[in-house]
Amino acid sequence: MMSGSKNVARAQETAKPLSPPIIVAKNLTKRFGSRLAVDDVSFSLDAGEVMGLLGPNGSGKSTILRMLVGTLRANEGEISIAGHDIVTSGRFARTNIGYVPENTPLYDSMRVTEFLQFMAGLKGLRKQQVDEALERVCDQLELNDVRRQPIHTLSHGFRQRVAIAQALLSSPPLIILDEPTNGLDPRQIIECRNLILSLAGKHSILVTSHILTEIEKIADRAGILLHGRLLAVEDLRNNPDAGDLESRFLALTAPH
Amino acid sequence: MLVKEFAAIYYSSVAYVVAAVFMLLMSYTFCAQLFHMRSASLAGTLIQAATLLLLTVPFLTMRQFSEERRSGTLELLLSSRADGLAIVMAKFLATFSMLTFLVVMVLAFPLTLSFISAPDWGPIVSGLVGLLLLGGALSAIGLAVSVFTSNQLVAAVLSLGIFLLLWMSEALGVFFGDPFDDIAVAISLDTRFTPFVTGAVYLSDFGFFLSLTLLGILLSVAGLARR
Repeated sequence: MMSGSKNVARAQETAKPLSPPIIVAKNLTKRFGSRLAVDDVSFSLDAGEVMGLLGPNGSGKSTILRMLVGTLRANEGEISIAGHDIVTSGRFARTNIGYVPENTPLYDSMRVTEFLQFMAGLKGLRKQQVDEALERVCDQLELNDVRRQPIHTLSHGFRQRVAIAQALLSSPPLIILDEPTNGLDPRQIIECRNLILSLAGKHSILVTSHILTEIEKIADRAGILLHGRLLAVEDLRNNPDAGDLESRFLALTAPH
Repeated sequence: MLVKEFAAIYYSSVAYVVAAVFMLLMSYTFCAQLFHMRSASLAGTLIQAATLLLLTVPFLTMRQFSEERRSGTLELLLSSRADGLAIVMAKFLATFSMLTFLVVMVLAFPLTLSFISAPDWGPIVSGLVGLLLLGGALSAIGLAVSVFTSNQLVAAVLSLGIFLLLWMSEALGVFFGDPFDDIAVAISLDTRFTPFVTGAVYLSDFGFFLSLTLLGILLSVAGLARR
């Protein structure tokens, strides 16, 4: 087992980014009243990298993501997305993000095409770009058969695809997915995992899960969270000596 | 954004139920005034329209942000390039357009009256302008309330409470000493609206309703930003 600071240091040593990190989060702290939801969390994500945030429910994963996309303000700390501060240059920072929130919130009364057109407009795509982007994401996520269907008639798997499709509309360099395999059946989980793997390299990806094996199969690095604290950042690709993620997770999160 | 909000209002059955009930009650008031009280004045009808706005606006604004918060779609909006003001303005304009539709329907009563007599159009026009100003202020306050809760019912009840308190604050002013009694009168929606139906249009009343509208919009934007 390695301490959090050692892991962060090791990750910084082993990763030799060609371009500056797409996410730099420094000393993030978030309180809801007297409850400390996120406690002094720092990490970075390099271009093209897939990082997983792993932790039990209530460990602060979604809160961190909401601060990263700018829908929740941190009490302390700084966030930079592609060099833009999320507070002072929020609009520029958000242009670089495709975000898939937890539980796939969509406008159920809209048809798939209608929803994607609406989201493309919100992302600032011009009219001629919208059609091209729609064709691309519908092909990529195999949504062509359900394009005219109202969203409320879709299965959970298709809803998840639509949610990911809206995140990809503007081809952002960073994709953030909050518990993307929640509520999916085994086949849909495999499809979702393969989709995320297919996006890796072209996009930097930050994904949360409370399912250990999902993170292990998808991510290059895994941040382990408990009670709002980032206990360690494990390198899953370049550290064969460190043992499997399960034993490291159990050791780190064992009650004292 | 604007198209989506207009569609959300006009594809919703709530808006049409609200419009139908509003017109039914307005028609009853108009007929009662005309045939039972034998009065050709529309002042009572316009004041009735204002009190009905107090009761109907909460049903139009309750779901605006509350529903987005409950379903999680507010995360999608706020994580996009759209800024808070654009989101709030789209929702405000959609609600206000529905209220404008209601006010235009109220025009049916003076038009009906004009077939059998010659109504004084000055107070009628100023009364309709007053209704629009009141509707704008109520929409903005209702939106601000819905920003702070994910429960539609709580949003509706809170809005209704605030509207009634503001409407009755003149009457409540007698319970307070100086200078709070003057403040209670100054912020009373009733005090500010009534001159419009008599044809007396004061710039201060215009400014009051516009300020209230602006305050509601700014509170909504601030509420979104402080999450």
